[in-house]
Amino acid sequence: MSTRVTPEEIAAFADGELPAGREAAIREAIAADPELAKQVQRHRALAARLSQHYAPVLEEGVPDRLTDLLTARKDKTVVDFAAARQKQEAQKREAPSRHPHWGWIAGPALAASLAIAVILGDTNTGPGAGYAGPQLAAVLDDQLVAEQSSAAETRVLLSFEDKGGQFCRAYSGVSGGGIACRDDEGWRIESRSEGGEAASTDFRMAGADDGAILAEAQDMATGPALDAAAEQAARERGWR
Amino acid sequence: MDETSAPVRLIPWKAETLNTAFETDLLALLPRLRRFAIGLSGNPSDGDDLCQMTIERALANRSRWEQGTRLDSWMYRIMRNIWIDEGRRTTRSLQTFVDEEAGVTIGGDGAQEAVVELGNVDRAMQSLPPDQREAVLLVMVEGYAYKEAAEIVGCPVGTLNSRLVRGRDALMQMLGDEA
Repeated sequence: MSTRVTPEEIAAFADGELPAGREAAIREAIAADPELAKQVQRHRALAARLSQHYAPVLEEGVPDRLTDLLTARKDKTVVDFAAARQKQEAQKREAPSRHPHWGWIAGPALAASLAIAVILGDTNTGPGAGYAGPQLAAVLDDQLVAEQSSAAETRVLLSFEDKGGQFCRAYSGVSGGGIACRDDEGWRIESRSEGGEAASTDFRMAGADDGAILAEAQDMATGPALDAAAEQAARERGWR
Repeated sequence: MDETSAPVRLIPWKAETLNTAFETDLLALLPRLRRFAIGLSGNPSDGDDLCQMTIERALANRSRWEQGTRLDSWMYRIMRNIWIDEGRRTTRSLQTFVDEEAGVTIGGDGAQEAVVELGNVDRAMQSLPPDQREAVLLVMVEGYAYKEAAEIVGCPVGTLNSRLVRGRDALMQMLGDEA
Protein backbone atom coordinates (compact mmCIF):
# COMPACT_ATOMS: atom_id res chain seq x y z
CA MET A 1 0.00 0.00 0.00
CA SER A 2 1.43 3.33 -0.90
CA THR A 3 1.17 6.21 1.49
CA ARG A 4 0.90 9.74 0.28
CA VAL A 5 3.34 11.80 2.28
CA THR A 6 3.00 15.57 2.43
CA PRO A 7 5.96 17.93 2.83
CA GLU A 8 4.51 18.90 6.23
CA GLU A 9 4.65 15.29 7.31
CA ILE A 10 8.23 14.91 6.16
CA ALA A 11 9.27 17.94 8.18
CA ALA A 12 7.27 16.79 11.20
CA PHE A 13 8.84 13.36 10.93
CA ALA A 14 12.32 14.88 10.86
CA ASP A 15 11.41 16.86 13.99
CA GLY A 16 9.91 13.87 15.79
CA GLU A 17 6.55 15.64 15.83
CA LEU A 18 4.23 13.13 14.17
CA PRO A 19 1.58 11.37 16.23
CA ALA A 20 2.61 7.80 16.99
CA GLY A 21 0.01 6.22 14.70
CA ARG A 22 1.02 8.22 11.67
CA GLU A 23 4.73 8.02 12.36
CA ALA A 24 4.92 4.28 11.66
CA ALA A 25 3.29 4.70 8.26
CA ILE A 26 5.58 7.57 7.32
CA ARG A 27 8.61 5.68 8.52
CA GLU A 28 7.72 2.83 6.19
CA ALA A 29 7.16 5.16 3.27
CA ILE A 30 10.52 6.79 3.89
CA ALA A 31 12.29 3.46 4.14
CA ALA A 32 10.85 2.53 0.76
CA ASP A 33 11.71 5.76 -0.99
CA PRO A 34 15.29 7.09 -1.07
CA GLU A 35 14.06 10.47 -2.26
CA LEU A 36 11.93 10.90 0.88
CA ALA A 37 14.82 9.71 3.03
CA LYS A 38 17.00 12.36 1.45
CA GLN A 39 14.44 15.04 2.25
CA VAL A 40 14.37 13.98 5.90
CA GLN A 41 18.14 14.13 5.92
CA ARG A 42 18.14 17.63 4.47
CA HIS A 43 15.69 18.82 7.11
CA ARG A 44 17.90 17.49 9.86
CA ALA A 45 21.03 18.94 8.37
CA LEU A 46 19.34 22.33 8.16
CA ALA A 47 18.29 22.10 11.81
CA ALA A 48 21.86 21.26 12.81
CA ARG A 49 23.23 24.12 10.77
CA LEU A 50 20.83 26.69 12.18
CA SER A 51 21.30 25.74 15.81
CA GLN A 52 25.03 25.77 15.26
CA HIS A 53 24.81 29.20 13.67
CA TYR A 54 23.02 30.79 16.61
CA ALA A 55 24.76 28.84 19.38
CA PRO A 56 27.55 31.41 19.92
CA VAL A 57 25.01 33.97 21.16
CA LEU A 58 24.47 31.83 24.26
CA GLU A 59 28.18 31.92 25.02
CA GLU A 60 28.50 35.68 24.76
CA GLY A 61 28.05 37.86 27.77
CA VAL A 62 24.72 39.67 27.93
CA PRO A 63 25.26 43.44 27.56
CA ASP A 64 25.09 45.39 30.83
CA ARG A 65 22.28 47.57 29.61
CA LEU A 66 20.06 44.50 29.60
CA THR A 67 21.12 42.96 32.89
CA ASP A 68 20.92 46.40 34.52
CA LEU A 69 17.22 46.47 33.81
CA LEU A 70 16.82 43.47 36.07
CA THR A 71 19.38 44.18 38.74
CA ALA A 72 19.42 47.95 39.23
CA ARG A 73 15.81 48.50 40.16
CA LYS A 74 16.01 50.45 43.36
CA ASP A 75 12.71 49.30 44.80
CA LYS A 76 13.71 45.66 44.69
CA THR A 77 15.75 43.52 46.97
CA VAL A 78 19.08 42.24 45.82
CA VAL A 79 18.91 39.72 43.06
CA ASP A 80 20.73 36.52 43.64
CA PHE A 81 23.34 36.49 40.93
CA ALA A 82 24.72 33.12 41.78
CA ALA A 83 21.28 31.57 41.47
CA ALA A 84 20.73 33.23 38.12
CA ARG A 85 24.04 32.05 36.83
CA GLN A 86 23.41 28.53 38.00
CA LYS A 87 20.07 28.50 36.30
CA GLN A 88 21.64 29.87 33.16
CA GLU A 89 24.16 27.08 33.14
CA ALA A 90 21.50 24.50 33.79
CA GLN A 91 19.39 25.82 30.96
CA LYS A 92 22.28 25.77 28.58
CA ARG A 93 22.62 22.11 29.33
CA GLU A 94 18.98 21.20 29.37
CA ALA A 95 15.98 22.56 28.00
CA PRO A 96 13.66 23.03 26.40
CA SER A 97 15.47 22.20 23.30
CA ARG A 98 16.59 19.18 21.46
CA HIS A 99 18.85 21.00 19.04
CA PRO A 100 20.64 23.58 21.16
CA HIS A 101 21.49 20.73 23.41
CA TRP A 102 23.91 19.77 20.74
CA GLY A 103 24.66 23.21 19.52
CA TRP A 104 27.13 24.00 22.24
CA ILE A 105 29.10 20.90 21.45
CA ALA A 106 28.79 21.12 17.71
CA GLY A 107 29.62 24.81 17.56
CA PRO A 108 33.23 24.58 18.67
CA ALA A 109 33.73 21.22 17.02
CA LEU A 110 32.71 22.70 13.74
CA ALA A 111 34.49 25.99 14.08
CA ALA A 112 36.13 25.87 10.73
CA SER A 113 39.28 23.94 11.27
CA LEU A 114 41.86 22.90 8.76
CA ALA A 115 42.65 19.25 8.60
CA ILE A 116 45.82 18.24 6.82
CA ALA A 117 45.26 15.64 4.21
CA VAL A 118 46.21 12.07 4.77
CA ILE A 119 44.16 9.32 3.27
CA LEU A 120 42.86 7.08 5.98
CA GLY A 121 43.43 3.36 6.01
CA ASP A 122 41.02 1.43 3.89
CA THR A 123 38.01 0.43 5.92
CA ASN A 124 38.15 -3.02 4.38
CA THR A 125 41.29 -4.00 6.25
CA GLY A 126 41.43 -4.76 9.96
CA PRO A 127 38.67 -6.64 11.67
CA GLY A 128 36.58 -6.90 8.51
CA ALA A 129 34.45 -5.14 6.01
CA GLY A 130 32.29 -2.44 7.52
CA TYR A 131 34.78 -1.74 10.28
CA ALA A 132 37.29 1.03 10.72
CA GLY A 133 40.78 0.27 9.44
CA PRO A 134 43.73 0.34 11.83
CA GLN A 135 44.53 3.99 11.33
CA LEU A 136 41.03 5.26 11.87
CA ALA A 137 40.50 2.79 14.71
CA ALA A 138 43.57 4.18 16.47
CA VAL A 139 42.17 7.67 16.22
CA LEU A 140 38.80 6.52 17.53
CA ASP A 141 40.45 4.62 20.36
CA ASP A 142 42.74 7.35 21.56
CA GLN A 143 41.75 10.80 20.44
CA LEU A 144 39.63 12.86 22.83
CA VAL A 145 37.63 15.78 21.53
CA ALA A 146 38.97 18.02 24.27
CA GLU A 147 42.60 17.16 23.63
CA GLN A 148 42.93 16.72 19.92
CA SER A 149 45.17 19.00 17.98
CA SER A 150 43.54 21.40 15.59
CA ALA A 151 45.85 20.01 12.94
CA ALA A 152 44.72 16.43 13.49
CA GLU A 153 44.19 14.58 10.25
CA THR A 154 40.96 13.16 11.49
CA ARG A 155 38.98 15.07 14.03
CA VAL A 156 36.51 13.47 16.35
CA LEU A 157 33.46 15.73 16.34
CA LEU A 158 31.80 14.23 19.35
CA SER A 159 31.07 11.01 21.20
CA PHE A 160 27.76 9.69 22.40
CA GLU A 161 25.93 6.57 23.47
CA ASP A 162 23.52 5.07 20.98
CA LYS A 163 20.17 3.50 21.75
CA GLY A 164 21.76 0.09 22.18
CA GLY A 165 24.14 1.44 24.81
CA GLN A 166 27.21 1.33 22.58
CA PHE A 167 29.65 4.18 22.44
CA CYS A 168 29.74 5.89 19.08
CA ARG A 169 31.95 8.63 17.76
CA ALA A 170 31.34 11.01 14.91
CA TYR A 171 34.48 11.94 13.04
CA SER A 172 35.54 14.05 10.13
CA GLY A 173 38.59 13.60 8.00
CA VAL A 174 40.04 14.13 4.61
CA SER A 175 38.55 11.13 2.93
CA GLY A 176 35.19 11.87 4.43
CA GLY A 177 33.61 11.57 7.81
CA GLY A 178 31.18 9.28 9.47
CA ILE A 179 29.98 7.65 12.62
CA ALA A 180 31.50 4.53 14.12
CA CYS A 181 30.25 2.52 17.08
CA ARG A 182 32.38 0.23 19.20
CA ASP A 183 31.29 -3.40 19.37
CA ASP A 184 33.04 -6.73 20.00
CA GLU A 185 34.76 -6.65 16.62
CA GLY A 186 36.01 -3.12 16.63
CA TRP A 187 34.74 0.22 15.39
CA ARG A 188 31.76 -0.58 13.22
CA ILE A 189 31.13 2.08 10.61
CA GLU A 190 27.52 3.14 10.95
CA SER A 191 27.58 5.72 8.25
CA ARG A 192 30.00 7.54 6.05
CA SER A 193 29.99 10.70 4.06
CA GLU A 194 32.14 11.14 1.02
CA GLY A 195 35.29 13.18 1.14
CA GLY A 196 34.68 13.84 -2.52
CA GLU A 197 36.96 16.15 -4.41
CA ALA A 198 38.40 17.38 -1.14
CA ALA A 199 40.57 14.29 -0.99
CA SER A 200 42.55 15.45 -3.97
CA THR A 201 43.49 18.76 -2.43
CA ASP A 202 45.90 19.30 0.39
CA PHE A 203 43.42 20.49 2.90
CA ARG A 204 39.75 20.88 3.37
CA MET A 205 37.43 22.89 5.48
CA ALA A 206 35.67 20.99 8.16
CA GLY A 207 32.06 21.94 8.16
CA ALA A 208 29.94 21.36 5.13
CA ASP A 209 29.10 17.71 5.48
CA ASP A 210 29.84 17.61 9.20
CA GLY A 211 26.38 19.08 9.62
CA ALA A 212 24.85 16.00 8.10
CA ILE A 213 26.96 13.72 10.26
CA LEU A 214 26.03 15.63 13.39
CA ALA A 215 22.39 15.56 12.47
CA GLU A 216 22.59 11.82 12.16
CA ALA A 217 24.51 11.51 15.42
CA GLN A 218 21.81 13.51 17.11
CA ASP A 219 19.25 11.10 15.77
CA MET A 220 21.18 8.02 16.93
CA ALA A 221 22.03 9.26 20.40
CA THR A 222 20.09 8.57 23.55
CA GLY A 223 21.31 11.57 25.50
CA PRO A 224 23.57 14.54 25.07
CA ALA A 225 27.07 14.18 23.70
CA LEU A 226 29.68 13.02 26.19
CA ASP A 227 31.51 15.81 27.93
CA ALA A 228 35.28 15.77 28.37
CA ALA A 229 35.19 13.78 31.61
CA ALA A 230 32.74 11.21 30.32
CA GLU A 231 34.77 10.81 27.16
CA GLN A 232 37.93 10.19 29.12
CA ALA A 233 36.18 7.66 31.34
CA ALA A 234 34.83 5.87 28.27
CA ARG A 235 38.30 5.71 26.76
CA GLU A 236 39.69 4.21 29.94
CA ARG A 237 37.11 1.48 29.69
CA GLY A 238 38.03 0.87 26.06
CA TRP A 239 34.76 2.39 24.84
CA ARG A 240 32.84 -0.64 26.06
CA MET B 1 -1.19 26.20 28.61
CA ASP B 2 -0.03 22.73 28.18
CA GLU B 3 2.40 21.68 30.86
CA THR B 4 3.05 18.15 29.81
CA SER B 5 5.65 18.39 27.10
CA ALA B 6 9.32 19.31 27.25
CA PRO B 7 11.20 19.78 30.48
CA VAL B 8 9.28 22.31 32.52
CA ARG B 9 10.91 24.39 35.14
CA LEU B 10 8.70 24.44 38.17
CA ILE B 11 9.99 26.75 40.76
CA PRO B 12 8.77 26.55 44.33
CA TRP B 13 7.46 30.00 45.00
CA LYS B 14 7.26 31.87 48.22
CA ALA B 15 5.22 35.02 48.24
CA GLU B 16 7.87 37.15 49.90
CA THR B 17 10.54 36.19 47.37
CA LEU B 18 8.34 36.60 44.33
CA ASN B 19 9.80 39.86 43.07
CA THR B 20 13.36 38.76 43.31
CA ALA B 21 12.69 35.36 41.83
CA PHE B 22 10.94 36.88 38.84
CA GLU B 23 13.97 38.96 38.03
CA THR B 24 16.39 36.16 38.74
CA ASP B 25 14.52 33.92 36.35
CA LEU B 26 14.50 36.61 33.69
CA LEU B 27 18.23 37.02 34.08
CA ALA B 28 18.67 33.33 33.54
CA LEU B 29 16.54 33.49 30.41
CA LEU B 30 18.39 36.44 28.94
CA PRO B 31 20.93 34.57 26.80
CA ARG B 32 18.17 32.57 25.12
CA LEU B 33 15.96 35.62 24.68
CA ARG B 34 18.87 37.43 23.08
CA ARG B 35 19.42 34.55 20.69
CA PHE B 36 15.79 34.70 19.61
CA ALA B 37 15.89 38.50 19.34
CA ILE B 38 19.03 38.47 17.22
CA GLY B 39 17.54 35.78 14.99
CA LEU B 40 14.34 37.77 14.52
CA SER B 41 15.93 41.13 13.89
CA GLY B 42 18.97 39.87 12.04
CA ASN B 43 21.74 41.64 13.94
CA PRO B 44 22.96 42.01 17.52
CA SER B 45 22.27 45.70 17.91
CA ASP B 46 18.62 45.54 16.82
CA GLY B 47 18.33 42.29 18.74
CA ASP B 48 19.47 43.92 21.96
CA ASP B 49 17.04 46.80 21.42
CA LEU B 50 14.27 44.27 21.01
CA CYS B 51 15.45 42.46 24.11
CA GLN B 52 15.40 45.68 26.09
CA MET B 53 11.86 46.54 25.02
CA THR B 54 10.79 43.02 25.90
CA ILE B 55 12.24 43.18 29.41
CA GLU B 56 10.72 46.59 30.01
CA ARG B 57 7.31 45.41 28.93
CA ALA B 58 7.61 42.25 31.01
CA LEU B 59 8.50 44.24 34.12
CA ALA B 60 5.62 46.62 33.54
CA ASN B 61 3.23 43.70 33.11
CA ARG B 62 4.64 41.31 35.65
CA SER B 63 1.36 41.13 37.53
CA ARG B 64 -0.19 39.58 34.40
CA TRP B 65 2.15 36.64 34.38
CA GLU B 66 0.47 33.66 35.99
CA GLN B 67 2.56 31.79 38.47
CA GLY B 68 3.01 28.15 37.57
CA THR B 69 2.95 28.84 33.84
CA ARG B 70 6.14 28.95 31.88
CA LEU B 71 7.96 32.20 32.09
CA ASP B 72 10.00 31.46 28.98
CA SER B 73 6.94 31.04 26.74
CA TRP B 74 5.46 34.23 28.17
CA MET B 75 8.66 36.15 27.43
CA TYR B 76 8.97 34.80 23.92
CA ARG B 77 5.38 35.79 23.24
CA ILE B 78 5.98 39.34 24.45
CA MET B 79 9.08 39.56 22.30
CA ARG B 80 7.51 38.33 19.09
CA ASN B 81 4.50 40.62 19.62
CA ILE B 82 6.75 43.65 19.97
CA TRP B 83 8.77 42.56 16.96
CA ILE B 84 5.65 42.14 14.82
CA ASP B 85 4.32 45.53 15.92
CA GLU B 86 7.66 47.22 15.24
CA GLY B 87 7.85 45.57 11.86
CA ARG B 88 4.47 46.98 10.93
CA ARG B 89 5.53 50.44 11.94
CA THR B 90 8.89 50.56 10.25
CA THR B 91 9.49 50.24 6.56
CA ARG B 92 9.17 47.00 4.73
CA SER B 93 12.84 46.28 4.37
CA LEU B 94 12.39 42.61 5.03
CA GLN B 95 12.33 41.38 1.48
CA THR B 96 15.23 43.36 0.09
CA PHE B 97 17.76 40.59 0.42
CA VAL B 98 16.00 38.04 -1.70
CA ASP B 99 17.33 39.07 -5.07
CA GLU B 100 20.79 39.66 -3.78
CA GLU B 101 20.98 36.14 -2.46
CA ALA B 102 21.20 34.60 -5.90
CA GLY B 103 24.42 36.48 -6.59
CA VAL B 104 26.38 35.30 -3.58
CA THR B 105 29.32 33.13 -4.44
CA ILE B 106 31.37 30.95 -2.16
CA GLY B 107 35.02 31.95 -2.12
CA GLY B 108 37.93 29.57 -2.51
CA ASP B 109 39.97 30.78 0.40
CA GLY B 110 39.14 28.88 3.56
CA ALA B 111 38.78 31.78 5.97
CA GLN B 112 36.66 33.73 3.52
CA GLU B 113 34.43 30.80 2.95
CA ALA B 114 33.63 30.59 6.63
CA VAL B 115 32.66 34.26 6.75
CA VAL B 116 30.50 34.07 3.66
CA GLU B 117 28.85 30.95 4.96
CA LEU B 118 27.87 32.59 8.24
CA GLY B 119 26.61 35.60 6.40
CA ASN B 120 24.50 33.40 4.21
CA VAL B 121 22.50 31.96 7.08
CA ASP B 122 21.75 35.42 8.39
CA ARG B 123 20.77 36.70 5.00
CA ALA B 124 18.67 33.71 4.18
CA MET B 125 16.86 34.09 7.50
CA GLN B 126 16.25 37.78 6.90
CA SER B 127 14.71 37.06 3.54
CA LEU B 128 11.98 34.95 5.12
CA PRO B 129 8.61 36.57 5.81
CA PRO B 130 8.18 37.26 9.54
CA ASP B 131 5.70 34.45 10.16
CA GLN B 132 8.04 31.88 8.64
CA ARG B 133 11.12 33.30 10.33
CA GLU B 134 9.64 33.12 13.81
CA ALA B 135 8.36 29.58 13.21
CA VAL B 136 11.79 28.42 12.04
CA LEU B 137 13.56 30.07 14.97
CA LEU B 138 11.18 28.81 17.64
CA VAL B 139 11.27 25.20 16.47
CA MET B 140 14.68 24.76 14.88
CA VAL B 141 16.81 27.03 17.04
CA GLU B 142 14.93 27.46 20.31
CA GLY B 143 13.84 23.84 20.27
CA TYR B 144 10.14 24.27 21.03
CA ALA B 145 7.64 21.60 20.13
CA TYR B 146 5.19 22.62 17.40
CA LYS B 147 2.44 22.98 19.94
CA GLU B 148 4.48 25.22 22.21
CA ALA B 149 5.65 27.33 19.29
CA ALA B 150 2.06 27.69 18.06
CA GLU B 151 1.01 28.90 21.50
CA ILE B 152 3.78 31.49 21.56
CA VAL B 153 2.83 32.73 18.11
CA GLY B 154 -0.89 32.46 18.79
CA CYS B 155 -1.85 30.34 15.80
CA PRO B 156 -3.15 26.79 15.23
CA VAL B 157 -0.55 24.02 15.15
CA GLY B 158 -1.36 23.23 11.51
CA THR B 159 -0.70 26.82 10.51
CA LEU B 160 2.60 26.78 12.32
CA ASN B 161 3.53 23.52 10.63
CA SER B 162 2.92 24.87 7.16
CA ARG B 163 4.76 28.15 7.83
CA LEU B 164 7.64 26.08 9.12
CA VAL B 165 7.73 23.97 5.98
CA ARG B 166 7.62 26.96 3.67
CA GLY B 167 10.39 28.62 5.66
CA ARG B 168 12.54 25.53 5.59
CA ASP B 169 12.03 24.98 1.89
CA ALA B 170 13.07 28.54 1.19
CA LEU B 171 16.14 28.20 3.41
CA MET B 172 17.21 24.93 1.83
CA GLN B 173 16.85 26.47 -1.59
CA MET B 174 18.91 29.51 -0.65
CA LEU B 175 21.56 27.69 1.32
CA GLY B 176 21.89 24.82 -1.11
CA ASP B 177 22.38 21.16 -0.44
CA GLU B 178 25.14 21.72 2.04
CA ALA B 179 22.51 23.04 4.45
